[in-house]
Amino acid sequence: MSHINLIHLLNPQHFPIFTIMLYFLGAFLIVLFGKNRILRNCIAFIATGLSLTLLILLVKPIMINGGVIAYWMGNRVPAGGYAIGIALEVDALGLFFGLLVATAVFVSCLYSFSYMSEDDNEPQYYTLFLMLAGGVMGLVFSGDLFNMFIMVEILTFAAVALTAFRNRVTGALEAAFKYLVVGCIGSTCILAGTILLYHQAHTLNLAQLGTIIAGNLDKNTIIAFALLFIGFCTKAFIVPFHPLAADAHGAAPAPVSVLISGVLTKSGIYGIIRLAYFLFQLMNLGAVQFWLVFLGSVSMFVCVTMALAQHDFKRLLAFHSISQIGYVLAAVGLSTALGASAGLYHAMNHTLFKGLLFLTAGAVLHETGTTDLGKLGGLSKKMPWTTVLFLIGAASISGIPPFNGFASKWLIYQATYEKAVETGNIGFAFVTIVALVTSTLTLASFVKVTQSVFFGQLPKECEKAKEVSFGMRFAMSILALLCILTGLLPNLVQKYLTQPAAATLFNVNKYINAMLGTGLPESGAAEFKPIGVWNPVNWLMLLMIALLAICIVAIASKYDAVRENKTEKVAAKYSLFYGGEETEFSQVGGGDLFWGFKHNWRHYFSFMHDLHSGIVNDYSLWAVVALALAMVYALIVL
Amino acid sequence: MDAVLNALRYLGYVLIFPGFLFCFMTGLLLAGIDRKLVARMQKRVGPPILQPFYDFFKLCGKKTIVPAAANKTVFLLAPLLGLAALVVLQLFIPVFRIQLHLGGASRDVADVIVILYLLLIPAVSIILGGASTGSPYAGVGLSREMVTVLACELPLVLVLLGVGRYVGRDTAGGICFSLNQIVDYQMESGSLITKASLIPAAIAFLLVIPGETGNHPFDAAEAETEICEGMLAEYSGAPLGVFKLSHAIKMLTMTSLFVMLFFGGVGAGVEHLVALMGLTGGAAAAVVTILDILVMVLLCIVVTAVGISLVHAVTARLKIEQIFKYYWTVVSALALLSLVLVWYGL
Repeated sequence: MSHINLIHLLNPQHFPIFTIMLYFLGAFLIVLFGKNRILRNCIAFIATGLSLTLLILLVKPIMINGGVIAYWMGNRVPAGGYAIGIALEVDALGLFFGLLVATAVFVSCLYSFSYMSEDDNEPQYYTLFLMLAGGVMGLVFSGDLFNMFIMVEILTFAAVALTAFRNRVTGALEAAFKYLVVGCIGSTCILAGTILLYHQAHTLNLAQLGTIIAGNLDKNTIIAFALLFIGFCTKAFIVPFHPLAADAHGAAPAPVSVLISGVLTKSGIYGIIRLAYFLFQLMNLGAVQFWLVFLGSVSMFVCVTMALAQHDFKRLLAFHSISQIGYVLAAVGLSTALGASAGLYHAMNHTLFKGLLFLTAGAVLHETGTTDLGKLGGLSKKMPWTTVLFLIGAASISGIPPFNGFASKWLIYQATYEKAVETGNIGFAFVTIVALVTSTLTLASFVKVTQSVFFGQLPKECEKAKEVSFGMRFAMSILALLCILTGLLPNLVQKYLTQPAAATLFNVNKYINAMLGTGLPESGAAEFKPIGVWNPVNWLMLLMIALLAICIVAIASKYDAVRENKTEKVAAKYSLFYGGEETEFSQVGGGDLFWGFKHNWRHYFSFMHDLHSGIVNDYSLWAVVALALAMVYALIVL
Repeated sequence: MDAVLNALRYLGYVLIFPGFLFCFMTGLLLAGIDRKLVARMQKRVGPPILQPFYDFFKLCGKKTIVPAAANKTVFLLAPLLGLAALVVLQLFIPVFRIQLHLGGASRDVADVIVILYLLLIPAVSIILGGASTGSPYAGVGLSREMVTVLACELPLVLVLLGVGRYVGRDTAGGICFSLNQIVDYQMESGSLITKASLIPAAIAFLLVIPGETGNHPFDAAEAETEICEGMLAEYSGAPLGVFKLSHAIKMLTMTSLFVMLFFGGVGAGVEHLVALMGLTGGAAAAVVTILDILVMVLLCIVVTAVGISLVHAVTARLKIEQIFKYYWTVVSALALLSLVLVWYGL
């Protein structure tokens, strides 16, 4: 009897709940047995690794065969027309986000083993880490709104605690406090929205809510939509919630930054998609499309300019993170098959390249003890691996072909411009332009980081820096490899991952049917019609031929190089003279590198500078104002 | 067997035409003509037209010195990567009707928007090379270079979106970014330069060319008199020669992109001409090909003369913030005008 049960457990039906359970189980086991370092690491490794494996096993039944897993806890299936039991539902969209979460969690867990080994309270770190992972996974797989709220609470508090984990670092507690306050406003919005919906529909099951609310809006449900929307926006740090992310990332340890940027923001995006596409089914309305695309474009542009003004490595990365999330939101908001596919593709790439960049920032912090761009420099000679990995990440996020950031951004350009042509609305063309220019601005700010961290002169304080341990390099290399692969094979990624996930957005009834067995008519496959042409493998092949040929010529023609002598003469060459006086070495550094750009935008920058006061009262006020605006807008247009 | 043939064909494309050899000859020729023209316009005698060739070979014979503070690998690899990326980019710019078979069912490997981003790779590689030297001059230079790239980006994007919309009007998607299709379209319905609504875009693109190539008056990034050529300050010998070559090839890339976008149909009459001459079959095809190439190179020279040399001769170098302002206001306004005109059906 018992072995029959065991075989039953291997049914893919159970995998989603296993992945969630593994994280939480790991968290509790580490509380119990976490004193022993090896045991602790083993538990964390097994919990994260096994979850990832289980989700990869689900790719075939869900992504390729198009199945949906509906799982009722304790087999409490709906009775009497109401779905009351706790349900998990995993469709291609849920699995897509689940995979992102599991990958990011796994890699940053690997990285943590060596990165966090010098910290106190390591067991608590892994407990919180796995709680955060489990929270996001639960949110993504949850089939009812109340459990989504529970998971949001778990992940918010785990994230707050992890932000303040190194609480001796200046600003860590402050950042955590800010995050706590505004995060709680967001969670409260979600709770309030959930209550309103329950009051109206007497159910919390997502699928059933979808059948009841959609096309059947009244003032209560519209307010609920605005509340839930703003709630998930705080989780994704969409403008105007972006300052929190900067503070949180600046203070949190690097692997936690990976989770906050790669996983937590995704949970917000996931929430917004579920809300707008499935629960309320509002995405065919131009007003809602405009809302999402507008917020996305504003986030894109505002955050990239904020990033240009930063002089701290991790804060800069934090703003870029939101800028890229803006791309995702704008693309998903287009409500076209291509747009949704492109947006999800970018969401995936965002997890990969952002994770990589935060880990390299962590490596720099680990070796030099600072992330201030003004104090770093010349690390490429000390940390060659980290430099190469950073360059891969930087090229990816800046949308340089053939890396993955380009593959997805390029689809986003097409999707927005195609939407513009289809609707005849030139506004969408401006989104394309903003997206294209933002991409170059991103490149500019990564040139700044490259110049002031990895190249340039090596300051005395950094002379002790050396390459980080193999464990950290290995974790970073996984992400770098994925960045390259997903950039070179866009067709495969689209076919097996993003298009199945995007197709679910336009086939909501499939989700409802799988859950409730109602047999609503399902729509056919969504139409994908990319207009551009880009064949990265061929390009790379040609480039390799050219590079090889040029290298052969270069070597054959004695392209040999003589290293300059390290005599005192050389030092004199780099001396700087201001008004005839020799001064200390100074880089053309940090915040002022793009003077030519910033000078022309000085009014904008000083306005933004005044706006971001860093006072949590102001940011709470922004949240309230955003909520009020969202409600008013929703009441007017819906 | 197919694979071997393909590999050989790719090799031919990359090394000979329209790859390395062609780029090398034409690029340096354009640079030489530019120098001569500027000199004549300023009533100087000027160097011989082949001067850039002499310079290149002389530089290749010189010793390369790696600065003590530099990262040697990046320092030496950056110029090569930039050159390779430029040469490959040149393959995607069609020469009227010469179709390269670069694999796949589609005739294209990269469309115009991709080319826009592939153009960033040479810029990034020179920035990386400069940054790796650790020189403060390079720091200033790369800052300016990046701002110049940023400045050019907006007008370029606007021009390309306008052209894509104009050409794509009659196609299913409503947009066309394939350079091959843009050229085909012009073969049938005349060069885009003759369409009233795209003339502002063409002017804008013409003004972007010197900015993208880093020619006077937009050469703040390399200003010899104040920051000793910026990113190139520490370079010597063959790597410097390669950067100079890349600069020359970039002139070819930008001018030929302009020619393909706005003068794409000019070669259309060549076939009739050849038929009049009484040639048929393989000989006719060969003559058409050679004439096509010649016409393109001639047009590139004309564009260089107007877009680069003339501008060079009559202006003084701008400050970096002026460059940025100029591109984001005047030039972008021109390009935007075109986009709006095209959008509303003109």
